[in-house]
Amino acid sequence: MIKVSGVSKTFKSYHSPADRLKEKIFRKKYHREITALQNVSFEVKEGKTLGIVGQNGAGKSTLLKILSGVLLPDEGSIKVDGKITGLLELGTGFDHELTGLENIFMNGTFLGMDKDEIERKKDDIINFTELGEFIYDPIKTYSSGMLMRLAFSIAMHAEPKCFLVDEALSVGDAYFQQKCMRKILEFKNDGGSIIFVSHDMNAVKTICDSAILLDHGHIISSGDPKDIIDYYHGIILSKSHMGNTEVIVNEITDDHTGHKNPSASTGEVELLSFKVLNSKNEEILHIESEQVVKVIYQVKALKELSDPHFGLHVRNNLGVSVFETNTYCSSIKTFTLKKEQIAELTWEFLFPLSAGDYSFSVGVANKGYGRDAFEEYLLMAHDIEVLKVIPNSNAIVYSGVFNMKPKIEIQERLGKE
Amino acid sequence: MNIGLILELAKRDITEKYSGSTLGALWNFIYPLVDIFIFTVIFANLMGSRLPGSSSVYAYGFYLTSGVIAWNAFSNTVSRTATVYLDKKHIITKVKVDLSSFPLYIAISESITFVVTMGVFLFLLLISGYGVKPVILFVPLIYLVQQLFAYSLGFFIGIFVVFIRDLREIVRIVLQFWFWFTPIVYVYDILPEYVKKIMVYNPAFTFIHAYHSIFIYEQIPDLEAILYLFLLSFAILLCAGFTFKKLEKDVRDFI
Repeated sequence: MIKVSGVSKTFKSYHSPADRLKEKIFRKKYHREITALQNVSFEVKEGKTLGIVGQNGAGKSTLLKILSGVLLPDEGSIKVDGKITGLLELGTGFDHELTGLENIFMNGTFLGMDKDEIERKKDDIINFTELGEFIYDPIKTYSSGMLMRLAFSIAMHAEPKCFLVDEALSVGDAYFQQKCMRKILEFKNDGGSIIFVSHDMNAVKTICDSAILLDHGHIISSGDPKDIIDYYHGIILSKSHMGNTEVIVNEITDDHTGHKNPSASTGEVELLSFKVLNSKNEEILHIESEQVVKVIYQVKALKELSDPHFGLHVRNNLGVSVFETNTYCSSIKTFTLKKEQIAELTWEFLFPLSAGDYSFSVGVANKGYGRDAFEEYLLMAHDIEVLKVIPNSNAIVYSGVFNMKPKIEIQERLGKE
Repeated sequence: MNIGLILELAKRDITEKYSGSTLGALWNFIYPLVDIFIFTVIFANLMGSRLPGSSSVYAYGFYLTSGVIAWNAFSNTVSRTATVYLDKKHIITKVKVDLSSFPLYIAISESITFVVTMGVFLFLLLISGYGVKPVILFVPLIYLVQQLFAYSLGFFIGIFVVFIRDLREIVRIVLQFWFWFTPIVYVYDILPEYVKKIMVYNPAFTFIHAYHSIFIYEQIPDLEAILYLFLLSFAILLCAGFTFKKLEKDVRDFI
């Protein structure tokens, strides 16, 4: 378990390091203050994973540095019932002149293992890295992926109680990322706490039990990863307007589900209505898999939009994207919307998804360019409706995301005598 | 404080400087040996330098050697400890280490060099017929006090080096002057009266003079002076510890 309470950190920016000392001696202010973290508290229980999301400069790296003990907080405390290790982009303190094996000893000692312990675990550490004979080469000859494998393996074998992971993991190839993920899950099942910092929102949704959103050093929201990420997307939307337009991030509580549906809008468009229908044009809350589903929504322009485009996003109950597209990406011609003019969009598609709850989100943007980008993002309304898909009794039994309707053939062949 | 870590760092320190060369760590000991060779053979034998009041050919060579071995251990420990936070930035900004005991590895690694060169020096004393008296049993004591002084001083300066990088060069220059202000190359007796008066306040003179007493004059060193040096070192260490406590956060932010 790890408990962080009331951690604050302010950096003082000086013109030269000597100003720091001058200030101490002359008791006169020579610095500019930069608040990196302000009153940050959270707790990660045994066997749980906490996701930390936020934009660049939100304080994530400072928090990781404080957690790993490299920096000290101005206020607040961190309690862990054991060691904290991790795989961080900030590095591991490897000595590039030494061989992989020597670094295992050096780094292992830094992580609080004694000689006997390292001697005992050495083979396991090397086996996990799959570096083979390379372990006897100086690590300056290693690729970044190899370094990451070595760092991960040492950090995991140091028997931490809390493990920190950030984007450093993405350096490895797909095979090794999977291997690390399995190890992390194993660690978690054995009661370890994990703190996961990433910009990969799908990964955060899949791995984390809860999440916090950092912005300018504050925790502005915490809770279910899915909600946090929607909130985060809202902030990104406001950024894409370069601060020219005020963005309202609302938390609308759905009456049916009690779920919070954060939506972000610039106030330039309004979503008037949203309906989910079956092929008989009846409004539905659930449908059998592999039937036709129609989605109809109306958007009113509150100012003139020269080249508006409309999108639809389907996500499963974990918040993982199942399907997403828009009129621009589908090469559908749209028309200029005058102020107060309303556009109605009808989407019709097959829904061959496996049983479960699926949510719909709507996006509106203006002036498409490139392959899939827009100059202005106007609205992002998350999880407006939820559709429950029930298994189709006529379909084959399968598991996974959707029914790929395979054609399976079997033939008898004669073996070689 | 993690003893295992400090020993591991000390081991690295000795091996890494010459890693890749065939003789490796041996070079750490070849350099001091060359010094001893120059002092005894060239200075004493060829140039005929004589220690006043001694008839031995080797006396001056041994005088010089005993002083330089001790001075090197002292000055290397001070200067390297003072810059350790900048030199080992790549480690201390990445992993959690206890910064107050971290520089201890330098004192240990310098001590190993000291012990080895001292061993060679003792061997030379024996074969030259100069002789080794039981009074050399005081050497470990003097050395411990000397290194405590070196560590405290280096640690204290080291905290400020993080903020004022120029201190790094200033420390080197001061050590140069300090070396020549201490009777290592010359003897105390040739100094004018007023310098002799100030010399008591030179802590380096205290321990260098102690080595000279032991090896050259075969006398028990001035233990009272050593006690004062110990108290001074302890005071500096307390001061450094207090300053470090105050500034640790800033040191970590600034590295």
